[in-house]
Amino acid sequence: MGIEIQFISADKLKDKTPPQKVEYILDQVKKSKNRILVIEGSLSATDEKELIAKTMGEVSKNFPGIEVASLGEQSSTLKTQLIKLLGGKPSGLTVVGPSTLVKQIKRDPDKLSLLTGK
Amino acid sequence: MPFKQILSWLQNLFGSRQSFSLGLYGNVNAGKSTLANRISKDWSGEEMSTVSEVPHETREVVKKERLAVRVDGKILTMNLLDMPGIATKVDYRDFIKRGMKLPDAQKRAKEATKGIIEAIKWLEHVDAAMLVMDACEDPYTQVNITILGNLEARKIPVIIVANKIDKKNAKPDRIKAAFPQHPIVEISALKGDHMDQLYRAIAQYAK
Repeated sequence: MGIEIQFISADKLKDKTPPQKVEYILDQVKKSKNRILVIEGSLSATDEKELIAKTMGEVSKNFPGIEVASLGEQSSTLKTQLIKLLGGKPSGLTVVGPSTLVKQIKRDPDKLSLLTGK
Repeated sequence: MPFKQILSWLQNLFGSRQSFSLGLYGNVNAGKSTLANRISKDWSGEEMSTVSEVPHETREVVKKERLAVRVDGKILTMNLLDMPGIATKVDYRDFIKRGMKLPDAQKRAKEATKGIIEAIKWLEHVDAAMLVMDACEDPYTQVNITILGNLEARKIPVIIVANKIDKKNAKPDRIKAAFPQHPIVEISALKGDHMDQLYRAIAQYAK
C-alpha cells in the first residue's frame, strides 16, 4: 500500500484552541497507518509538548506513537503576531506521521528528511 | 554530622539561601540517571536512580531532596529531579527485542508512557533545568527542541549538558553549533569528567 501525504492549510487550524489543534492532528494521524501530515506553519513549543503528552496517553499495541518535526519560528514573536494580525499566514511547516510508518525525521535548521518504512 | 551538612542547616535556618528544584531532562538514554547518580553521590554519598542500557529505565520522577552542593565556598541547596526520558513513541516490541517477555514489555511500555506525561507536566514546575544530550547522537531532535522551547517560553534557566564525551565518537561541537544561545558544559557523567565545571555552571545559571 502506498503512502498518503496530506497537506493541511494553516486556515484549517487557525480557529482551533491548542487542545483542539492537538486532537485534530492526532485524529488525522491515527485515521490511517499510511498517512503523513504536512501542516502549513510550525507548531509552538507548547503545542508540541501537548501533542507528545496526548500521544503518550493514546499509545497502544497498534499505535506506538508518532514522529514529529517543525520548521520555522516556534515562539510567538512580535513579527509573527503582526503577520497574524494583518491576516497573513505563519511561516514554517510541521510534519507528523505514525511511528509505524515514519521511522525517523532528520532535521537541519532549514531542512527536514523523512525516513519511512514498515 | 559532617561540617557540610551543619553549614547547610545553618544557612537554611537563617534563610541566607533557599533551595531550588533542578530537573534533568532529555531524550531516552542520554545519561540523565547516570548524571543524577554522579551528582547525588558527589554530595550525599549515595546514588539515587537505577541505570540500564534498556530504554525507559526511569519511568517515574526520582527526587533527591535538599542536596547541598558546595561551589567555590558557597552552598547551593537543591532538589534534584531525575526525569523519565521524553520520547514521541514507546513500542513494547522494542523491549521484547532486548529479551523481555511480553507481559513485562507491555508493562514497561505502559509505565514509560505515564512517565513521559509526568516529566512533561514537571516542565511547568522546575526552577531550573539541565537538558542532557548524548554527544554521540544528533542533537537536533524534536524532543530537545520541544523541551528547550518550553523552558525558554517560561524563562526557566537551562544548562545544556553534552554527556558521554569519554566515547570516541562524541562530537560535543555539534551541540554547541545547534544551540549557541545556551550555556553548554561537556562532561562524562560515567567517568566524572568536568563535573566541577558543571557545578560552577549550576551556581552561575540555575540557582
